[in-house]
Amino acid sequence: MVDGLAYAVMALALVATGWGVLTASLNKAPGQAQIIFAAVVELVTLAQSVVAGVRIALGARPDQLATTIGYLVAIVVLLPVAAVWALSDRSRFSGVVLAVAAFSVLAMTLRLQTLWSGGS
Amino acid sequence: MADRRTQTNSGPGRVLVAVYGVFALAATARAGVQLATRFAEAPVAYLLSAVAGVVYILATVTLARGTRGSRRLARVAILVELAGVLAIGTWSLFDPEAFPRATVWSGYGSGYGYVPLVLPVLGLLWLSRSRPTDDTGPRTA
Repeated sequence: MVDGLAYAVMALALVATGWGVLTASLNKAPGQAQIIFAAVVELVTLAQSVVAGVRIALGARPDQLATTIGYLVAIVVLLPVAAVWALSDRSRFSGVVLAVAAFSVLAMTLRLQTLWSGGS
Repeated sequence: MADRRTQTNSGPGRVLVAVYGVFALAATARAGVQLATRFAEAPVAYLLSAVAGVVYILATVTLARGTRGSRRLARVAILVELAGVLAIGTWSLFDPEAFPRATVWSGYGSGYGYVPLVLPVLGLLWLSRSRPTDDTGPRTA
């Protein structure tokens, strides 16, 4: 796909996952830095989807085109929805909610990488 | 207004709703793609895929609402989910041809780290643990 961006997304998402689990295990609600970090993860994820979308528009054809497009769209929805859900009832569990979303972004990016390389 | 601690959508319940939400998205998107592009290949498997998506959406929404009425609906959805993952999981073992990674429930959800197998159990446990304390009183849906 876009290897550099994908690795960045996966690394950032991994940190966000760990951060969420950490604050939850310390019995703390997510702090402002953590929320901003999640926003950064979202921005890089969005960049990944946009770049991949442009490549598809320019003629790139991953193995399963429809599935790939589905992943590229769904992956950018996760973190914003999770953030709203997490922050509307702030507790230690808000961190776990963010971690669940961030881990899903990580898993979906891995799957996107496989889908993308499977075709070529 | 029920005590917050007794509702399905507070405390650890928020995490449960989040995980259900992820699976609602995953199962529905997957079914949508399958039905739109390859329906003729395996209609039964792909329709079951769509059923899984609807069940996850229902469970997500009802657990997130957390009212008495939605608790009952949530229980039904989660029981269907449990039956689904056990039935499809077993079926996919005996007839792998019918389920080439076709649903989130194939292989008991092995493609999703077996979360689909664990999730309904956690859901039912959470429903019983978060039961309103005034459950013996008059019921208002």
